[in-house]
Amino acid sequence: MPLIIKDEYPEKLFREDGKRLDGRDKHELRPIKMEVGVLENADGSAYLEWGNNKIYAAVYGPREVHPHHLAKPDKGILRVFYRMATFSVFERKRPAPGRREKEISMVVTDCLDPVLFLELYPGTSFEVFINVMDADGGTRCASTTVAALALADAGIPMRSLVSAVAMGKIDGELITDLSGIEDKAGEADLPCAITWFNEELSLLQFDGTMDIKEFSECLVLAKEALNKIHEIQLEALKKKYIDIQEQYKGGEKGA
Amino acid sequence: MMNIKRVISTIEKNYILSNLKKGERIDGRGLWDYRDWTVKCDVITSAEGSSEVTLGDTKVITGLKYEVGPPFPDLPNEGVCTFMAELLPLASPLFERGPPDEQSIELARVVDRGIRHADCVQTKKLCIKENEMVYILFVDIYVINYSGNLIDAGGISALSALISSQIPEGKWVDGNVEWTGNYLTGETIVNELPMVVTYGKIGDMIFLDPSLPEELVCDGMLSISVTENKLASIQKSGTATFSMEEIEMLVKKSMELAKKIIKELNLWQYKR
Repeated sequence: MPLIIKDEYPEKLFREDGKRLDGRDKHELRPIKMEVGVLENADGSAYLEWGNNKIYAAVYGPREVHPHHLAKPDKGILRVFYRMATFSVFERKRPAPGRREKEISMVVTDCLDPVLFLELYPGTSFEVFINVMDADGGTRCASTTVAALALADAGIPMRSLVSAVAMGKIDGELITDLSGIEDKAGEADLPCAITWFNEELSLLQFDGTMDIKEFSECLVLAKEALNKIHEIQLEALKKKYIDIQEQYKGGEKGA
Repeated sequence: MMNIKRVISTIEKNYILSNLKKGERIDGRGLWDYRDWTVKCDVITSAEGSSEVTLGDTKVITGLKYEVGPPFPDLPNEGVCTFMAELLPLASPLFERGPPDEQSIELARVVDRGIRHADCVQTKKLCIKENEMVYILFVDIYVINYSGNLIDAGGISALSALISSQIPEGKWVDGNVEWTGNYLTGETIVNELPMVVTYGKIGDMIFLDPSLPEELVCDGMLSISVTENKLASIQKSGTATFSMEEIEMLVKKSMELAKKIIKELNLWQYKR
């Protein structure tokens, strides 16, 4: 008996007025806030708030590979480490990385790899550290999105950005951007990520039940959501430079 | 924090030292000045208590989670409060992945001892049923950006997480814990407000709140945890040696500084 209040889910995931429990329409995204260049020690970094999710991502590289035997003579390697803080979930997570974190790290690595020109950096590694400080569903998608931003902030040549979102099904209805409760109590969860240079899916998982018609519909709806997320990413990247420009205009840094 | 290996040029070390001899710091501070503090509480929705603290460019986030379980046999009517620290590799190229190393264990232990021996956490109030069931609090400190003096930042961050906590109150009913519908808050759990104050020493120069370059070149550090009128814990790290007079002076100084900073930060404003 580890906790006093139990983690319980309501029977219905839609309210009387047809809105979702957090007041969203079926295909409305949660509020998303992104910022780049937030960590001074990293080569590139980004911070994301997506609903209650709060995630930091930092990129170090190109740098020497540790352990050395992982280095490839003809290209650089990308390594992503997705970790959750012990207090980011309802029941305290053990501090050591679990199976789930290792799997997500791998899935996100494979998702981001196609947009990088790793062949330009033989014998080196790029390490992306993703730390989820607060979690509320859809963290692998949010992590992919913020990791792509951190890579771009590091000035690493990329074919395009990567955006991700989780589609799903609750109480028989298709929805966009599952929250934590909807993920646990719903019928289906479909996280997907798009690499914009070829507009193909680079991360795709599916858990639950859905018929083929619903699945196709989901992919169409996902594209709409991904477009919105891509816009927010681009704005965040531009904002860093607009802010610098404003500083100079304001004369704070001198001429 | 002396196990950090980074090459720092002799010229940089000499520059820091020659400035200190003139009573100046490379970032323009006086010898006994802290960098700017900011404290934000209740920043993590999933945690029962949380804080985000910055000290200059150093940034830590601390979250508090609880569990209930049997007490230690020798303390049958007291809850447990544990501290952990993680130096995330995103915070600095000097931090590596893997299980906690000496530096993160030292951080957690110094913060733990500073709070434990200061009559801060009221462990007797964390008892639900003697011999049967008590609260176990986990205060986990995550370093987000490393720019020197993690101990002082970690200490204030852990304390603010405790103060801002809100933990479901349990009662013992027929061999089970049930929720009373109320919460235990920082006001019930926390009594004294201790603070760890850390000094660096290079040669025979001592200064407050080492920044990253200062920490990397200094011979040693002294962390002193005090409450308003009592000493709670001391940790000397690194190879520097301190004279008796220096230590007495620093203990006195720590009390003045802790009183001033705790008053300025006004941590009780974050109770829920």
